[in-house]
Amino acid sequence: MTDAAETGSDQRSDPARSDRDRLRDTLVAVAGGDRAAFEMLYRLTSAKLFGVCLRILSRRSDAEDVLQETYTTVWHKAGLYDAERASPITWLVMIARNKAIDRARADANDAHAAPIELAAEVGDAAVQPLAEAEARDSGRRLDRCLEELEQRQRTLIRTAFFEGATYENLALRSGTPLGSVKSWIRRGLFKLKACLEQ
Amino acid sequence: MSPTGPDMAAPADRNHLAAEYVLGVLDAAQRRAVETRIARDRAFAREVAVWQEHLGALADEIEPVAAPLYVWPRVRSALFARERRGGWLESVGFWRWLAAGSGALAVAALAAVFVLSSRAPPQPAAPMVAAINLDDGRTAFLATIDLEHGTMVVLPVSATIPAQKVPELWLIPPNDKPHSLGVVDVSHPVSITIPAALRSVVTLNAAVAISVEPPGGSPTGQPTGPVIAKGGISAI
Repeated sequence: MTDAAETGSDQRSDPARSDRDRLRDTLVAVAGGDRAAFEMLYRLTSAKLFGVCLRILSRRSDAEDVLQETYTTVWHKAGLYDAERASPITWLVMIARNKAIDRARADANDAHAAPIELAAEVGDAAVQPLAEAEARDSGRRLDRCLEELEQRQRTLIRTAFFEGATYENLALRSGTPLGSVKSWIRRGLFKLKACLEQ
Repeated sequence: MSPTGPDMAAPADRNHLAAEYVLGVLDAAQRRAVETRIARDRAFAREVAVWQEHLGALADEIEPVAAPLYVWPRVRSALFARERRGGWLESVGFWRWLAAGSGALAVAALAAVFVLSSRAPPQPAAPMVAAINLDDGRTAFLATIDLEHGTMVVLPVSATIPAQKVPELWLIPPNDKPHSLGVVDVSHPVSITIPAALRSVVTLNAAVAISVEPPGGSPTGQPTGPVIAKGGISAI
């Protein structure tokens, strides 16, 4: 997806970095009301955000609605994007996730139902080092820190993130008391933070 | 499903709450409470932002899925269509768009299709075509119109429709409401018999459009779903 023309300048030849810069510049242009930049932003990011919505919402039509709402919000709120504090794709993903989670909460029937296996014997099947994740320092660091958690903490945290599942839902699907799920996740998050901020 | 209020008091929990919000484990009432707090408490908002950066890296693992083609036109019209009072039929943009005509390339391609597929009757009524385009200008369907036999062939080009939905074709004479020409298909050409009562209004001034409808077509006789593509009728 990277333009050969863009990597030639004084950019270091790190494709992940130049993608991020390009996205950041596009988002800044959108904040200035640039409709062409907005369309470019949609082309660059809608598949990712649609993927995010589809993981949280079981109905495709809901995911499409949420995707539309997400970009409406992005158009209006792009001015609030703070390039110093957030990576552009993370900012966009979080808007989409929040809207998708709100949509899922509004429909009690839309909760995920697949059982969650927390037994240690499952091994590390849930952790797949992906090429794309390796392209980002933060992704690599997060993977490393997730590795340090107990298997059940890691599984619960990952499932919660991808599916936007509530504590209650996670407890139900894993056949674990709510209090245990809460404390495992909270302890996991605490450990994760300590590792990430080392 | 009893919403329990988030514990705002204990400072040790503040960090939990920010992380839990970002992770997505809170229920609806807790989420609202957290959002109110984000708006008021800058330190808390910063914690949320930090957690978003921390956990956001997990999204790298999510596979991108191409969104259906009609989502972008919906985004654009939701944001930028100024006159929405009377729906798209009364929108200035729509009529201006029609006046500008459909893409010349698509019409040329269509003409070729028509010439190849028609048997060139000796004295036909002038054949007509329509490129039914998405808002981004790409052609969703091509239609060839044979008024002599009262038929229309609708060929899918780059149309996608949500699961459990069907595309329905509409004829829109100038200053009139849409008339259904029936359900078409995104995967193969469909031949349509134009109802006798409508043949007289299939003119170069009329438009055609595709809306997204439940299986079997619109239950009301008017479009009930979003209009994803439209086009004017041209002579070859």
